Amino acid sequence: MSVIAKVWIEEDCITCDACQDICPEVFQLTDETSQIVAAVRIDGVFDRNIGGSLLKADFGKEFADYIEEAAEACPVDIIKFEMTGAAAPAAEEAAAVAEVAPPVAVAASPVVASAGTSDALAAVFAGDRTLTIFFGSQTGNAAGLAEKTAKLAANYELIANVVDMDGYDPASLVGAKRVLIITSTWGEGDMPDNAEDFWQGINSSSPTLAGLNYSVCAIGDSSYDEFCKAGVDWDQKFSALGATSIQEIQLCDVDFDEPWAAWVKTVLPRIACVDDAGVFQESLVEEMIAYGAGGDDSVSSGDFTPGTVLMDEISVTLELFRYCPSTAQSGWDTISCAVPAHATVEDLLICIQQDVDGSLAFRRGTNGGTPTTGVRVNGRTILADLARISDLIGASGNLKIEPAPGLPIIRDLIVDLSGYEAARARAEPWMRADPREGVRLLNGAAVATMDASLATELHQKSDILSYQLIQSMSDTSSYDKAYEGPGIHLQQWLRAEDPRCGAEQRKNIIASLNETDGVWAEADLSSIARYGSDGKLAASGLNSARAYLLNASNYGGKHGRLVKWYGRSVKWTGNVNETTLYRQVLGPLGLIGNIFNGISARMLLGFTRNGGPPIRGLQGLLVPPSGIGKIPNMINSKVDAHHEVVSLFNKIDKRF
Amino acid sequence: MAKIAYYPGNTARAASMEVEDCIVPLCKTLGIELIEIPKASSDGGNIISQASPKLQHSLVARNLALAEQKSIDIITTCATSHAIMCDTADIIASDSVYASQLNNLISLTSGIEYLGESKSRHLLHYLVEEIGLDKISAAVINPIKLNVAGYYGSNMQREGACGNDDAFLPNYLEQLINAMGGVPVDYELKCQSVGAPSLLTLEGTAMAMTAAVLADAKQNGADIMVSACTISHSNLDSYQSRAGKLTGKDTAMPVVHLAELVAFALGHYPDRFAQLRTRALIIGS
Repeated sequence: MSVIAKVWIEEDCITCDACQDICPEVFQLTDETSQIVAAVRIDGVFDRNIGGSLLKADFGKEFADYIEEAAEACPVDIIKFEMTGAAAPAAEEAAAVAEVAPPVAVAASPVVASAGTSDALAAVFAGDRTLTIFFGSQTGNAAGLAEKTAKLAANYELIANVVDMDGYDPASLVGAKRVLIITSTWGEGDMPDNAEDFWQGINSSSPTLAGLNYSVCAIGDSSYDEFCKAGVDWDQKFSALGATSIQEIQLCDVDFDEPWAAWVKTVLPRIACVDDAGVFQESLVEEMIAYGAGGDDSVSSGDFTPGTVLMDEISVTLELFRYCPSTAQSGWDTISCAVPAHATVEDLLICIQQDVDGSLAFRRGTNGGTPTTGVRVNGRTILADLARISDLIGASGNLKIEPAPGLPIIRDLIVDLSGYEAARARAEPWMRADPREGVRLLNGAAVATMDASLATELHQKSDILSYQLIQSMSDTSSYDKAYEGPGIHLQQWLRAEDPRCGAEQRKNIIASLNETDGVWAEADLSSIARYGSDGKLAASGLNSARAYLLNASNYGGKHGRLVKWYGRSVKWTGNVNETTLYRQVLGPLGLIGNIFNGISARMLLGFTRNGGPPIRGLQGLLVPPSGIGKIPNMINSKVDAHHEVVSLFNKIDKRF
Repeated sequence: MAKIAYYPGNTARAASMEVEDCIVPLCKTLGIELIEIPKASSDGGNIISQASPKLQHSLVARNLALAEQKSIDIITTCATSHAIMCDTADIIASDSVYASQLNNLISLTSGIEYLGESKSRHLLHYLVEEIGLDKISAAVINPIKLNVAGYYGSNMQREGACGNDDAFLPNYLEQLINAMGGVPVDYELKCQSVGAPSLLTLEGTAMAMTAAVLADAKQNGADIMVSACTISHSNLDSYQSRAGKLTGKDTAMPVVHLAELVAFALGHYPDRFAQLRTRALIIGS
């Protein structure tokens, strides 16, 4: 008995009704053409079934004879069908040919297929199975994903070739059937370096890519304006050149593993359904997914083990700070050694401890980026279990390792964090939501709510690896023992910005930040901002705290007066007037104090600003605005187009 | 002759005349044509930003746009001003929405926009990277012949603001001192802040920080100090006796600005240089 796998209507139907008359369960006429009824098809679509959706099993068997009859009766010979087990070319044959190819006999044909695989799928597997995976990669992330994708492709009987875009000839794309592109975006929407030539080449040669099926996985950083632009460019370019997108482009943010996994899970079975002729057999997708998922021990499971970074050994001259608390003596050990450049600072310290000096003391981490492992290496404050030696060592090969600055030293590289912890305990930056207006679930349990965009903003502001390290970034800490430190204040400010924080807690935090040992005790935020992204984030957060306090106090106190009069003096003339600042910030008594403490006298008499004449020009004495001696000008001249500066102030901030 | 816009910073024109005296002749000797931007205003000195970062960014973007109108970069003698300009240029390059807000503001008030083409260059980086140490060395008329401690400060010693120098272990100043016939003195605190932004509000802390830098340089054998930052120069120089008195440290040391020292080496103001040498001799003894 015949079983029909699929049936479809080709073009040029004359709507004669013959097929519908013979088998209305399968064929139904519209005004323009006969179509295959949705109810009998696996995909449930009502159209001519050019895509080749399979018939549901019972219908293929039940109506096989009628379908064959309808095909024979069709006066324009446009009803085509495929018997179960028939190879693709056989499907093109007329019903008579199908009849001489009984299913059992065809199923025994030499098509390589696993047990349970349909003949249609087996036919797809029998053809060319080449898959080209291009990667455009600047830092290796895209290359790593390409490798993983290639391993998973084997699950779908695909033979994957991972291709570096660098040096690839665009002309070689002609004739390819399956292509996946995984690329990062570099700088402001630029191609990665290894993709640039290929990109230029394909733009200049514009090869025809008809018959090519593709999809793109783009990696980027959503904090940039041109998010994933390189991937989007490739997607648009392939489409413009006639290639068929087998699946919509996947855009991945910095945490790319999850979206990549979602993309690869869908795209591989789909592109695996592209047959030898380059035609996407959509009807086989579900079967392909099942095939790739399982059960067969011979199928590769994919390797998700993180790759090992290997770099050459480098020679290091290590200067290691040592401090012995029992003798209160400190000094430096100098050790020459060779270490793999990819080793972390902690790796190196462990080696020294094991092989050179077992008494070396340092804090070990528990994983990459343990907050308490901070040390200073070649001037940089870093986490020892995270920072690689290759990123720290200069051309000289010297590596100077010291304790994290600004904190008391217990022994060698171990600093005393008890002061930090005590300050934190006093500051109480942890969440205390009560009392505040909240929301309750139906079961009465309190639940915190927060707007998603605000949650994202807070997350970005608090994306800090180690507050202990932030604490040691301040140059001020070493000179003001009462100063609580930026690591503490940043935590407080971030808590105050959190809308889940209770009103009482917010009030206490704001009051604490405004005290003499609060955020105003930091003498120079630039000393924090210089330490990479964490330092910049911390300095920005602390500056925001200051802005809030200034508004709350209406520019009161010395700090408020400094900011207010600095702004005003700039608004008045376009330039800062130091005399105005001194007068307003220090007050009359402060100014007099400056005279008696020697500073003004030093300026007046010229014992400063070395190299200049002792008294700067006689006119200075005669015309005060020119400055007496080396005292700053008392009256500034205005910059040209001063009104533009005034307008800028008035547009942005009228408080000055 | 290389053309570049000159931005003196917040204090050079009003309080640090010696920098103004020296920058013009030194640039003339080295073939640098300074272009004035008389409409340029104060950059806010990281003080205005404490009330309104947007206002400070707008002031700086306007200054950069004024240079961009002339299709040239900006050179400044002040490390703080340089860092502030770099910060603003960075944020404009990385945040197009914010950049358009700033440009709308300066377009409304000044009829110009900053497209990110003109960049800030600090005098130190420009001398080392563009002019070259060989050319400077060849132009030296009065070799410094003193032990000189270079002071960088913390403002411009960060990635993206220190040219090709190392942000944490810089040596451009030392290379330049060498090229001018001086002996560079290495010391630990050459990048440490002296608390200049808080001079009037946290005097005790700022003086302690200032004294630490001066004392460290002196203990390492410096005769004089050269500062790459105009604002910090004031703390290190005018306030050094006060800093020494409050901390009990030996802080007495002649401090000059980078522009002065280069000008002296190139033969300008030999009288001032003679005074400096004399002063170094007296104080150092």
